[in-house]
Amino acid sequence: MKMRDNELTKLVTRLESGGPLPTELYRRTGNARILGITGPPGVGKSSLIDRLIDNLRRQDKTVGVIAIDPTSPISGGALLGDRLRMQRHSEDEGVFIRSLATRHHHGGVTDSTSQIVHALDAAGFDIVIVETVGTGQDEVEVAEVADTVVVVLMPELGDEIQRAKSGLMEIADVLVINKADLFNAHAPATGPHYSALKWERPTIHTSAKSGEGITTLCGAMDVHHAYLVHSGKLAERRARAVRAEVTRLLQSRMAASILCALEGPQAQTILTDVAKRKLDPYDAVEKLTKEILGSQKRSSKHAATSTRRQTKKRRKTRR
Amino acid sequence: MKRPLKVLIAKAGLDGHERGALVVAMGLRDAGMEVVYTGIRNTPEQIIAAAIQEDVDVIGLSSLSGGHMAQFRRVMELLKKERVKGVLVFAGGIIPDDDVKKLKKLGIKEVFGPGSTIAAIAEFITKSQR
Ligand SMILES: Nc1nc2c(ncn2[C@@H]2O[C@H](COP(=O)(O)OP(=O)(O)O)[C@@H](O)[C@H]2O)c(=O)[nH]1
Ligand SMILES: [Mg+2]
Repeated sequence: MKMRDNELTKLVTRLESGGPLPTELYRRTGNARILGITGPPGVGKSSLIDRLIDNLRRQDKTVGVIAIDPTSPISGGALLGDRLRMQRHSEDEGVFIRSLATRHHHGGVTDSTSQIVHALDAAGFDIVIVETVGTGQDEVEVAEVADTVVVVLMPELGDEIQRAKSGLMEIADVLVINKADLFNAHAPATGPHYSALKWERPTIHTSAKSGEGITTLCGAMDVHHAYLVHSGKLAERRARAVRAEVTRLLQSRMAASILCALEGPQAQTILTDVAKRKLDPYDAVEKLTKEILGSQKRSSKHAATSTRRQTKKRRKTRR
Repeated sequence: MKRPLKVLIAKAGLDGHERGALVVAMGLRDAGMEVVYTGIRNTPEQIIAAAIQEDVDVIGLSSLSGGHMAQFRRVMELLKKERVKGVLVFAGGIIPDDDVKKLKKLGIKEVFGPGSTIAAIAEFITKSQR
């Protein structure tokens, strides 16, 4: 069942600003297939997703898309241009597209990507697609979110992109060479060959312009999914995703406590003592760690009760 | 953290001139806003669907073709029909004075003619939405 767009969009906004996903929604997740589309800017990721949506809708599958573009380090603003390529699907009831700015998160996705994927999953979309920023070699976080990672490249990329490629290749389940129409790169697609135990990454030539290769690409993603299910790798990947997500949340909670503790009077005394050479930095860290862990216990209890209260309030307002 | 203002810049109607809209989109990005740019030839229905799914604070409509009255009126009708609240709508392009009055009656808060600066548009948005 599809949540009304109006309701879903407000939930996504809350998640984007760091709000928690309501427990009852998280319980409803785990049904969507999650596809990650990554690769250097300009290779045609958004245009390919537009074509994928066509194909999936013809199979009567509903599609949620999260499309990420970079925040400008100078102005803090962002030009979100992915939707432009998919805008013709806007009115389709079975499609929901949301553009996000990185807001200075490195890794190719945003802080809130996992949570927003959960929201679309819980809202009942069969397929959730994540388009990354895809500017660098270390932007491989999408592999911690997606079941199937498609890396998109095009022929004749420059040196810089060749380097970025090497990092990306490690996470590619399916490799796509797009813009086949421009470069006469009509090499036959390889694979996908798979047995229950081994996946051989296929290379598929596509043109988002002419539509060439799109059916092959969709087929390869289906075969990869079947491979994940039959080999037991899907469960493995999702366990890894859970671990990565909890780790990220834990790290940001800890980072916040550290900053908070450093503002306190106790920390000020400790820092002054270090400055006066009465304490060394390691002793300071020792003392501050105890302080932070103590306040963690107190504040987490407080946070738990206040979140529960908020959830209750939301349930009431929805009725 | 308060999120930056989110703006949808779209061109309604059939004309293919996109220079002006794109310049505004880039200018607002440089003013610190998150700008969803959906390009040319959007139907009013697509514009509203995008505004809802993107949860924008502001919609900027552009028109250079003269088809603006019917298109913009439909956008404003749909906003009401879909119960989209608190979204500021402004327009830009070559629009005769008589029509500007009519557009403002429809709920379009401001209309920026060809000579308008990005700074003026950015300031208008910031003042109206904060
Ligand atoms: N000739 C050709 N152009 C393409 C193809 N796919 C995308 N493009 C163009 O490449 C540019 C960048 O595409 P886009 O989808 O925005 O790339 P992204 O940055 O990877 O999302 C646009 O001008 C597209 O029209 C293709 O298969 N063939
Ligand atoms: Mg893109």
